[in-house]
Amino acid sequence: MRRRLGLLLLASLLVARAAAAAEEIPLHGFVQAASAYRLIQPDRCPRTQRLACREEFVLGEGRARLELTPRGGWWGLVAKGELIGDAVGGEVDGDLREGYLDLRFPAVDLRLGRQIVTWGVGDLIFINDVFPKDWVAFISGLPLEYLKKGSDGLSATGHWAGTSLQVVLVPRFEPDTLPEAGGRLRFNDPMAAIEHRKTDDPSPALERTEAGLRLFRNVAGWDLSLYAYRGFHRAPAGEVEPGPRLRFFFPPLDVYGWSAQGAALGGVVSLEGGYYDSRRDRSGRNPAVENSRGKYLAGYQRELAPDLTLGLQYAGDVMEDHDQYRATRGPGMANRPTIRHVLTARLTQLLWNQTLRLGLFVLGSPNEGDFYVNPEVKYNVTDALWAALGVNLFGGPRRAEYGQFEGNSNLYAVVRYAF
Amino acid sequence: MAVTMRAGGWLILAAVLSLVTPAAAQPAAEEIMAKAHLAMFYPGEDMRARVTMRLVSRDGKERVRELTMSRRDLQDGGEQRYFIYFHRPPDVRDMTFLVWKYPGKDDDRWLYVPALKLVRRIAASDKRSSFAGSDFSYEDVSGREPEEDTHKLVREEKVGERGAYVVQSAPKDPASVDFSRKVSWIDKATWLPLKEEYYDRRGELSRLFTAEELKEIQGFWTVTKRLMKNVQTGHRSESVLADVRYNQKLSPDLFSERALRAPPAELSR
Repeated sequence: MRRRLGLLLLASLLVARAAAAAEEIPLHGFVQAASAYRLIQPDRCPRTQRLACREEFVLGEGRARLELTPRGGWWGLVAKGELIGDAVGGEVDGDLREGYLDLRFPAVDLRLGRQIVTWGVGDLIFINDVFPKDWVAFISGLPLEYLKKGSDGLSATGHWAGTSLQVVLVPRFEPDTLPEAGGRLRFNDPMAAIEHRKTDDPSPALERTEAGLRLFRNVAGWDLSLYAYRGFHRAPAGEVEPGPRLRFFFPPLDVYGWSAQGAALGGVVSLEGGYYDSRRDRSGRNPAVENSRGKYLAGYQRELAPDLTLGLQYAGDVMEDHDQYRATRGPGMANRPTIRHVLTARLTQLLWNQTLRLGLFVLGSPNEGDFYVNPEVKYNVTDALWAALGVNLFGGPRRAEYGQFEGNSNLYAVVRYAF
Repeated sequence: MAVTMRAGGWLILAAVLSLVTPAAAQPAAEEIMAKAHLAMFYPGEDMRARVTMRLVSRDGKERVRELTMSRRDLQDGGEQRYFIYFHRPPDVRDMTFLVWKYPGKDDDRWLYVPALKLVRRIAASDKRSSFAGSDFSYEDVSGREPEEDTHKLVREEKVGERGAYVVQSAPKDPASVDFSRKVSWIDKATWLPLKEEYYDRRGELSRLFTAEELKEIQGFWTVTKRLMKNVQTGHRSESVLADVRYNQKLSPDLFSERALRAPPAELSR
């Protein structure tokens, strides 16, 4: 449905292009080729991942994007559609990345339609950014913007005397895109023996509307935010039913949090915290459903020299009722510690008048031992053309968060021509 | 008590005399640089201009950055706010950039990335970093406080038809900048810098600034075409200001997160 809608919108974008020529509506876009070659193929091959075990390329595709963004004094329309030719799967598909209407009133901004919402201050550590993500795109080596997915809903932001309140309502729940059985990516599958699987419709009724609140204000140069979210876990929980059949569903989740970001210690300091209230499993006894958790992060970013920036983060993820988790954990499932510690570092060097970017991102958990390393070289050949070459390296214990993706480690290349 | 009062009186008189006497003939170097700073970076209460920057490499390869810059002063010579909207190239189109500039303290800087709908805080500790890939640094765009350097009036000479003061400046904290000294030609009539030479730590000429075109706009003399050449790499950047307008009563709301995420429509045209 989502795809068909995308194709339809892409078609209307093409029609609009003709009109745009006459009316001088801004029309932009790009064509992009991306490919990622699998570097590591583990020996063991679960039955549900036969395709992933065979496939040399985790990514091989071409994309064409059209962006139509007419704007007036109090309104704006944004439509970004893509046509994707997947060489690995041999398919052509359409996707509406974003499609929304903006209405601007003196103290209120309204945004209606498919939109990307980004909250929080972490760098690839998400606490209050509870909005849908495409982890398959991220692992496969597509540009980072593809990690974020749109939500179909309404956002209203009111501004009063320097304080702003944003309300996001999403009637149609959108889950994260994750590696799944039969797909192109390797992952830890504790239920690999069960090939018969079914996913519940994530939002069959109106009462399943998601709601998010963000209250924010700048105080003495510091950006302060409070967040609240009522919705669902983006990753499904799996339960074995008679048959046997594996049933996936999205258990309810509330999140409360805060963040602060400002200039300090000669750089930028970021702080964030959040509490994940897993309403379906407050006792922690249900092994299928995530326990409630507390998450926090502290980050520091500094310019070491002109055009050389270092970012460091420490993040923790505390599981509630860890005893219950240990007691009820099923075989093949990760044995997670009470607190998962994560450290990250990002080093970015810009050269040749910022046309060449050398980047290195390293994320690792000192107590779980899994890691993710991403070196990348990006060169802007001209103003319109850029090319990037990089490696996504995953590793560590095969049941840990990033360790399970070891078999997707890849060398990727992306070329984009924009207009 | 009376003695100190009297001593204080003499001191003040001496100070006044020392200010008045040389000013009659030649202004002090500090005064020239303070006036140049105000003339270049603080004209009007606020300002908006469409800026086109041409970045040209030694082998003639050209890149173009086009942006709309808005500035609002909180005090003359003091705190300022900048809002920049990027029109092109395509990979930065619709990006917005907000700077709250404080004298004597690191700026607050925010960059909005439209593809991610993300407001990103930018570390601003190093003002030598290139502005948008050009040969202009952040400091060249928003100004370096004259108090950070010591100044010496070297001579007076003509730049083209214009009479200028030639002032040599050296940083008080040499570690904080990449120049060991700077020579400025300040126009006597408008107080605008007509030419600047930056010398690196080895004493070699590294960068050369020239004001290519001066225009009087709403009573404010403005450098509408500026050139910065990196003498050592051969790379140069030319910045042309069009549609310059002063004192438009720009709203303080423009310099906020709201505007970063949803810039007013008149900026994107």
